[in-house]
Order: sequence, then structure tokens, then C-alpha cells
Amino acid sequence: MTPALELKGLRKSFGKAEIIRGIDLSIGKAERHAVIGPNGAGKSTLFNLITARFPPTEGTVKLHGQDLTGMQPFQINRLGLSRSFQITNIFPKMTVFENVRCALLWSQGYKYSFWHMVNRKRDLTEGAEAILEQINLTERRNLPAGVLSYAEQRALEIGITIAGGADVVMLDEPTAGMSNSETDYITDLILKVTEGKTLIMVEHDMGVVFGLADRISVLVYGEIIATGKPEDVRADPRVQEAYLGAALEAEH
Amino acid sequence: MSQIEQAKNEPKGARPKEQITTDPSDAAQRMRAGSMIIPVTPWVIAAVLLVLMPFIFTDNSAITIMNQMSITIIFALAYNMLLGQGGMLSFGHAVYAGVGGFFCMHVMNWSDFFAGLPLPLLPLFGGLAGMSLALVVGSFSTRSAGTVFAMISLGIGELIAACSVIIVAFFGGEEGVSGNRTYAQPFFGVEFLQQIDVYYLIAFWLILSALLMYLFSRTPVGRMANAVRDNPERAEFLGYSARWVRYYSFVASGFFAGIAGGLFAINYEILTEENLNTASSGVILLVTFLGGVGFFFGPIIGAIAFTLLQTVLSLQTELWAFYAGVLFVATVMFFPGGLAGLLMMHVPVFRLGKARLLIIPYLKTLLPAAIGLLGLAGLVELVFHYRHAATGDNEMTVFWTTFDSHNILPWVVLIAIAGIGLGIAKKTAPSLLEAWNEATTPDGGTR
Repeated sequence: MTPALELKGLRKSFGKAEIIRGIDLSIGKAERHAVIGPNGAGKSTLFNLITARFPPTEGTVKLHGQDLTGMQPFQINRLGLSRSFQITNIFPKMTVFENVRCALLWSQGYKYSFWHMVNRKRDLTEGAEAILEQINLTERRNLPAGVLSYAEQRALEIGITIAGGADVVMLDEPTAGMSNSETDYITDLILKVTEGKTLIMVEHDMGVVFGLADRISVLVYGEIIATGKPEDVRADPRVQEAYLGAALEAEH
Repeated sequence: MSQIEQAKNEPKGARPKEQITTDPSDAAQRMRAGSMIIPVTPWVIAAVLLVLMPFIFTDNSAITIMNQMSITIIFALAYNMLLGQGGMLSFGHAVYAGVGGFFCMHVMNWSDFFAGLPLPLLPLFGGLAGMSLALVVGSFSTRSAGTVFAMISLGIGELIAACSVIIVAFFGGEEGVSGNRTYAQPFFGVEFLQQIDVYYLIAFWLILSALLMYLFSRTPVGRMANAVRDNPERAEFLGYSARWVRYYSFVASGFFAGIAGGLFAINYEILTEENLNTASSGVILLVTFLGGVGFFFGPIIGAIAFTLLQTVLSLQTELWAFYAGVLFVATVMFFPGGLAGLLMMHVPVFRLGKARLLIIPYLKTLLPAAIGLLGLAGLVELVFHYRHAATGDNEMTVFWTTFDSHNILPWVVLIAIAGIGLGIAKKTAPSLLEAWNEATTPDGGTR
């Protein structure tokens, strides 16, 4: 079976600094995969390479066996890969409802239409409302997205990310900067909305990672030093040395 | 679709208790019902007003002003498709209206064809010409928004304005291109000899273009124009190319600008370099911003206000452009939402039913402020007259009062009016602010 996402020999240099130093990774369909690693390991860069926010220096990314080299972000999105951002990235001046509706437009086939009235399209209105229901923002429907609380904005971002029905969803630190109860809430939300989809996430919160992930990859200095089931990764001495130990130290 | 069905079957997620729970069904349901209907009332009122205006303002000069106003409204709305809806700041949008207008003039002079063409269809040619130019220029200028777009628009604007003396065959050199609209095929017997006939032709195109532009903002590509304006990167990750979204807005804007140019051609029967140059582009930016870019109807208010300034005020004073400039700077600095923004600020006040709380404070502050500003304007006029009037011509008239500008008394009086007016306004401003806060706060709640 073709993996949902396959990285081969992926490298990225900024000037002389090599940030991603040869990554091979294969993520199966409907797998929940977490990428962890210390700060500056290149996790977000890896995300940006996969989604073509930056071009890779070397190597290939394949989505369902299709090579993504040279594609623009919007083209990759149309192939069924969607992502969220580490810094909340929504449309702050538009209403919550409009944010979600915009995320539906392309996938519902409206493309660059200038002959449909979005307000008259029941599929758009109902689709957006179903998403709002899922992310529990129905009551915030008509507020400008910029005035929502931080956790709500993160929830909205996840809503926008999944709205288009992409089957590969990438979340970049979805619980960053959240309180414990908010983290639990977002974790439940992620579990709920990524049912049956391939999920790739960068996350710092180990509770979230071990609660959500089927498999974990540990990224240290641009290289993956271990990939496997959570318990195997946790037991791996290299991981303990390189990451968990350091993280524990940092916490103390 | 499967996504939605799946979503619908999902049980309602557990919501953390600490979050506020109002009754969701009520407001949301109402909004949903409301959002299905495109509000018709404002359009009907606008159309009726347009039909009735010539009966209220009957003289020819008023109709000339209204024609100019309507053309400016269409142009400003087209411009706001870029600036307000799409976040593209253009410094050279006059060329699309201008090229549309020039093309219409040539159609007018193409006598065999024009003799068979009813005049009301002519603006369509202007629209197509403006759109064709936008198709070409947009293909490279919309690659990015921001400074790059603004610079390219400025460059193209200058380039085409410069062409007016180079490509004389199309732009007619310094004297421009003129024609005669009455050579068109009579339209149900109307030959458009009178200003009033032209008025209704323009009014028809105004309603049609405004409606189409409004509807455009309601389409998927129109909504995405807003999204791209706010956050182009996010839009890219939703499957939309920010560049193509901008391109479509740009082309549509070029079309409606061309319509405005075509109407200009019909109304004035002459186009010159002035219709293309950066000054005209600057004016339309000013008009749009003055009206307010954040609301669809903003440019309409801006065009009305500016045309009145331009026509009525210019009869009163040579310095009208100075006042327009001051108004523009004040708008940018103190109320960036423009006139529409100022109006819409009051919607929550009316919704809370507290508008009457504001009447007295407004009178107390804004009336003295207005008088003070008029005093200031009088001083400006006085200085101007003192410096620039021919020697011996010491008499001047300001606010229907004639006096000697070399006398000390008018200076003292005007300084006193300005000082006292603005002084009272400054004194009462805090209480106005207080009243405003009171009027915008729901009873029993804090904001």
C-alpha cells in the first residue's frame, strides 16, 4: 500500500546552516504520527518543507505516491493535504463562520466562481455550521475571529484545517501556550476531527503526544534518530539521552 | 459532501464548562435565515432616489453635478474592489477608466458602426477595453500585493499617461479625442441631446454596476478576495492561489473602471490626458478612502462628498483642493474607517436605543468645533487674499461678509471665532467621550 506521506532524503540548508539533514520517513494511511524534538531541531522547518512553504534543497516529498516537487502550497492543498500553523493563522477580520466557509469553498468545487452567491449555497452554510458544531464555536459564529480567546482561535484554526476534508492533516503545535484544561479540550477535539485521517503533528506536550500518536518520530538537529510506537520510542536510550533527558532538565 | 454528513452524525462535543453558554440556536438561526436573502431595500431606495433626483434638483448645473457624482461613484466602487476588498493599493487606476473612455470615444467616431449602436450600450465597450488592459497588466502586477503592487501600478500609470503624447492615434495628443454622442442610433426615440437623458443613462449604469459589484463581493472569488487581503498565506493553504484571486478582482475592477470611463465619454464627449494621469488616480484613492474602504457603500458616500466639495466649494473658494487635502489627512489620521466608518460606529448605539444620549453632547462639542473650523478656514482665506490679491484690491468676501483684508478687525474677529470655537470644543470633548462610552455600553454590563 502506498503510504499517505513519504519523505526521501529530504535536506534543507539556509546558507551554510543545514537545518534538515537527510530525512526518510514514511507515514501510513490513517496513522497518527507525532514529530517531537528539542527546540531548534527543525520540526517546523520539516513541516514547511512538506507543505512547500519553503522549497527543499534536496530530496522528495510524496503524497499518496505523487511527487510534490515544484508545487505551490495551494496545489498541494488541492491534493488533500492541509495544515495548521504554530502561530495562529486565521482571517482575523472575518467572522468565525466566514473563516470556516472560506475553507470549504475550494473543496466544495466553487473554485474561482463569480456566478455563485455564497449566501445562497445551502451546502456551504450547512457545511460550515457542521464544522462549527464540531469545534464548539457555534455560539461565536458571528464574531470577528480576531476577538476570540486564544484557545478558541486555535480551535478555529483546526476547524479551518480540517474543513476542506483533506485526508492528510498536519498540525504544528496545536496546544502551544495553553492551560491544562484547554490542552485536554484541544486533544479531544483533534481525536474527534481526525478520525480516519492521517495526522502528522509537531507537539511539545508529552501528555498530548503519548495520548494521541500511533507512532512517534524524534527529530534532533535535523535528523530523525528514532521512529516507532510510543512505548518503544520512550524506551530508546538515544531518545532519552538526546531529548527526554534534556526536556526533563529544562523543566526543572 | 461525505465530510459534512460525517460531521452531522458526530455527537455534539463536550464543551468545557467554564466557557460561556448562551442560547446558540436563537441568534444563529435568525442570522442564517437573514443571510440567505440579499438585502433588497437599500437598492430599491437608491433606485427610487436616482429616478426622483432630477425632479428635486431641476437646473442643468445640478444635473451636471449629479452625472459627475454617479460616474465617480462607479469608479470609486471599482477602485474599492482593489483597495478595500482585495487589499491592493493602486496608484494608477485612472488608466483603466481612461483607456475605457478613449476607446468609447473612438467607437463614437467610428460613424458607420456608431450609427447602428444604441448609446446606452456604449459603456460596455469601455468596460471591455478597461478589462482587456487589466487582463494584461494584472498578469504580472498581481503577483504580490503590498509595495510591489503599488509600485507597479504607479509605473504603469505613468507609462500610459506618458503614452498619451506618444501614441497620438489613440490618445489624441494634447487636445485629446472628442466626439458626438448624438450620432448614435436613437434609443426608443431618445437622442441624448439633453443632460437629463444622459442623467438617466448614467443612473441606469450606476445601479447596474453597483449591484454587480456588490454581488461580486458575495461570490466565492469575492469572499476569497477578503481572505487573501487578510492573510494570503492562509488562503494558499486552503487551496486558493492568492495571485489568481487578486487577478480576478483586478480584472473585474478594470471592467467597472472602464464602464465609468465610458460614461465619462458620453457625458463630456471629450477625453484628454487628464483622465489618465496620476492626479486622477490620486483623486480616486482620496475619494475611496474618504468614504471608507471597510464598507461596500463607503466609496459611494466618498464620491458624493468629494464631488460636492469639488463642485460647490470650488465655486466659493480657490482653495477647495487645500481643504480637500486637509480633510483627507484628517481622515487618514483620526478616522481611518472614513465617513462610512463614522456612520457605522453609531449602529451599536442605535441598537442599544441610546442614541438620544448623544444629541446634546454632540451639539455641545461638534457645533463649536464646526464654528471654530470655519473661523480657521476664514483665516486661511484671509492670509491667501492678503498675500495673493492684486495690489489695491483689498476687499474680500468671506461667509457673505465683505471687508478690507488689510484692516486689523477681521483678523481679530476670525482669530477670536476660531479660538473660542475650538476652545469650547476642547473643553466639552471629555464629556462627549463620557457620553459616548455610556451610549455604547449595554445597561448593567461593562465592556
